[in-house]
Amino acid sequence: MNGRTRKRSKSEKQSSSHNNTYTGLYGTIPETIEAVKARLDEIFSDCNDFIQREISCGKNSLIRILIAYIDGFVDKRVLNQDVVHPILDFFSNTELHEGSHIYEQLKGCVVINSDIKEANNIQRAVHGIVSGEALLFIDGEDKALIIGVKAPQGRQVEEPDTETSIRGSREGFVENLVTNMTLIRKRIKNPNLKLEMMHLGRQTKTDVCICYIKGIANEEIVREVRERLNKIKTDSILDSGIIEQYIADNRLSIFPTVGNTEKCDKLAAKLLEGRVAIFCDGTPYVLTVPYLFIESIQATDDYYDHAYFSSFMRLLRFIALFVSALLPGIYVALVCFHQTVIPFKLMITLAASRQGIPFSPFTEAVLMIVAFEFLREAGVRMPRPIGQALSIVGAIVLGEASVSAGIASNLMVIIISITAICSFVVPPLIRVTMLLRFLFLIAANFLGFLGMTFLAVAVFIHLCRLRSFGVPYMAPFSPLTVSDLKDSILVVPIWAMVTRPRSLRQENARGTKGTKRQEVTLKK
Amino acid sequence: MRSGKIKKRTGITQIRTSVIQIVFLITFPLLLTGCWNNRDLTEINLVAGLGLDRTEDGKVLLTVQVVEPAAIQSSSSGNEKAGGRQSKPVFVASYAGETVFDAVRGMLSIADKRMFFSTTQVLILGEKLSQDGIEEVMDFFLRDQEMDYEMIILVAKDATPEEILKIETDMDSIPAMYIKGTVENTISRGTVKKTMLIDLIKDLGSSEIQPAIGKISKAGEKAVMTDGVAVIKDGKLAGWLDPHETRGYLFIIDEIKGAIVNIPVDNGKIAIEIMRSKGKNNVAFENGEPAMLKVNVEVEANVGAFEGRGSLDSPDNLKKLEIVLEEEIKKETMMALEKCQKEFSSDIFGFGAHVHKYHPQYWKKANKDWNNIFSRLPADVQVKAKIVRTGIVKSPIKKDE
Repeated sequence: MNGRTRKRSKSEKQSSSHNNTYTGLYGTIPETIEAVKARLDEIFSDCNDFIQREISCGKNSLIRILIAYIDGFVDKRVLNQDVVHPILDFFSNTELHEGSHIYEQLKGCVVINSDIKEANNIQRAVHGIVSGEALLFIDGEDKALIIGVKAPQGRQVEEPDTETSIRGSREGFVENLVTNMTLIRKRIKNPNLKLEMMHLGRQTKTDVCICYIKGIANEEIVREVRERLNKIKTDSILDSGIIEQYIADNRLSIFPTVGNTEKCDKLAAKLLEGRVAIFCDGTPYVLTVPYLFIESIQATDDYYDHAYFSSFMRLLRFIALFVSALLPGIYVALVCFHQTVIPFKLMITLAASRQGIPFSPFTEAVLMIVAFEFLREAGVRMPRPIGQALSIVGAIVLGEASVSAGIASNLMVIIISITAICSFVVPPLIRVTMLLRFLFLIAANFLGFLGMTFLAVAVFIHLCRLRSFGVPYMAPFSPLTVSDLKDSILVVPIWAMVTRPRSLRQENARGTKGTKRQEVTLKK
Repeated sequence: MRSGKIKKRTGITQIRTSVIQIVFLITFPLLLTGCWNNRDLTEINLVAGLGLDRTEDGKVLLTVQVVEPAAIQSSSSGNEKAGGRQSKPVFVASYAGETVFDAVRGMLSIADKRMFFSTTQVLILGEKLSQDGIEEVMDFFLRDQEMDYEMIILVAKDATPEEILKIETDMDSIPAMYIKGTVENTISRGTVKKTMLIDLIKDLGSSEIQPAIGKISKAGEKAVMTDGVAVIKDGKLAGWLDPHETRGYLFIIDEIKGAIVNIPVDNGKIAIEIMRSKGKNNVAFENGEPAMLKVNVEVEANVGAFEGRGSLDSPDNLKKLEIVLEEEIKKETMMALEKCQKEFSSDIFGFGAHVHKYHPQYWKKANKDWNNIFSRLPADVQVKAKIVRTGIVKSPIKKDE
């Protein structure tokens, strides 16, 4: 492990030194407007969307001001209204004395934009420009102003496609990080909601934001998240999925140990339970850690509906999870190995449906599953308008024709359909169950139930070993945390959920009954 | 509270734990049992009924009734799949071998696929085989791991097992299922005993009780009849109990779940339906020697039908009826007891179990000779009947006078 990091940091050093010589991003801001212009032109050479505008104003046009920004990235109307106009007005109306501080005046009372920062070096200035801010440089100064006039970009807040719910908020996150941060602030109006910004990716400089509630989230976990994020050495972070892969505890596991969500209310709930969220600019998927196995069968609707119904749904989802992973394997094991346990009448039905099928049950199952996975994948990748044709072909070929042609038994078609339906009941684990389904099928074909037991033991050992940011993945089952069982396979009514899930080791576990929590927080 | 430290595992402990895990993984499932060989459903013949008999030259004649699933499926759903040919739902084949296992294997020379016995519903023993002894042939059924211990055993009377298995009935497409059905009806009938393989094997190996097996015979071309019981003594067929005696026998061993007892009254017949019956049997001892067989039967019954004149609306009338019913039941139990004592001298009631349990010292010296001791003992049968309901009418349709 040590060897690996060492190797990595070496290559990192090389590439960063390479970067250094190439762009010349470092250094102070030159004091003359010509020099700054030349420098920026050099940095942004061949960038046709880079615009520099020089304004000369005041008496005899002595005061020269440079505005630099990237076209389309800033809102030009706001730029003119907040920056250019006031400056021109100011200098045409005001008498300037020799040596009066133009910079301070501009910063303090002329530019009416509320988001003004100062850049002391080229690097900061360039970062401001590429982030969609405007650079304001006054001739003769060694620093520049960075004015936030970013044009609103991207789509509106919409209902997320991937996570739908019957009840609850329909707001989903968008690609814009600031909008996302606002959305979560809107739900948790509390200064303890911390949003720590950092930039990841050597080339992309993606804005990444760690979000947690101070006083609830475990400080150790927050620190661990920070550390793991800082350790990421890569050129580009294009999606939170990339971060997920870097920060996962066990990078080789097929089970997800980092969660993601597109729904604002879901994220708020997770933060309030003491989890840490990682926002990433450019993607609506927000990561949450620690992510436990049980979360995959939890849905936001569960908490908004009566506990009877949500408990029942939980139970169904739990069963569906097992069915989607095991059913084809169980069928093959039963039909090929353990005919003795099949009741006589079912046996006749089974035998009748298998009559005349040229393939072994295993081959048959694999063929059908592969065909189904093809269909599913095609459904995801293909252009939307073709969808209709695909579903028709899929239904007819898979369902009807394969049976009447005698290639698959109709029982197998039913089994694969049930398996497929069940796998969609637990969306976070669709890929996991797909893989497990194949593995269990193979195990069943070799050793029947015995083989499946082998594999199940292996999978369970793996699951119980797995950790997500130090929290056992199978909590609250293993290790057993009795108080957390209230929100596992069954759900207790929301008024009875007094404590937060203890397995997340919050700073204070007393939950929804406000007063107590407040005290603890204040004491800290 | 657990410590908040997030553990980092070092490489070596990780390897060690994974080695331990692999060892666990391999050892634990090895302790499991299961079938190892992979064979498809289409490669086996599902046996529904089995017949065993002895040929004249002392060989074992094995008869199998094999199900053709496709034919059953198409006959029930009207779907002509299996090549369009109209095939029978079952076929029957016989093969004579030196031993049962020999016959099973020999069967492969006339059948296309391996026989699969787990689905066997009924095992029919021939009369001749039963007379010669069933203990030897049952060994295979005990030893083979594929046998269903819940298959029903019957002894054929006045017909060979082969003949019975060849009967095609209109009531069920699988004759074996039909036969099983008739035996399971005993729950509301009480005139045949449902003996499963597991019961037979237990009883055969015990000296406390002798096995009794349901009787099957032909009833015309397309039907069978299961009525009565075959009494076995020391593994050999001793004789038969008729339906009434069978019922008496079942009253004693507390196996009556329901029965209709017809009582003649002055002006017709009353059919009494037994709703609940509790039978107890034990052996009374005097001076360390068994003195008397005691049978105690408590019955709750309803009036099912009153074919005659009269009225049942007074408690006195019911009381009288109860006494007649008690007499009737007592008569049947006495018949069964006497026949088994005098004619067969075979303790199919399990009095021996009681002796073994409560008088082990005596049992130790007497168990070899128990059936003879049993035959000599006098019997005391006490029946207590209670009529609970008379149906939804008080008096019969026929008016008095």
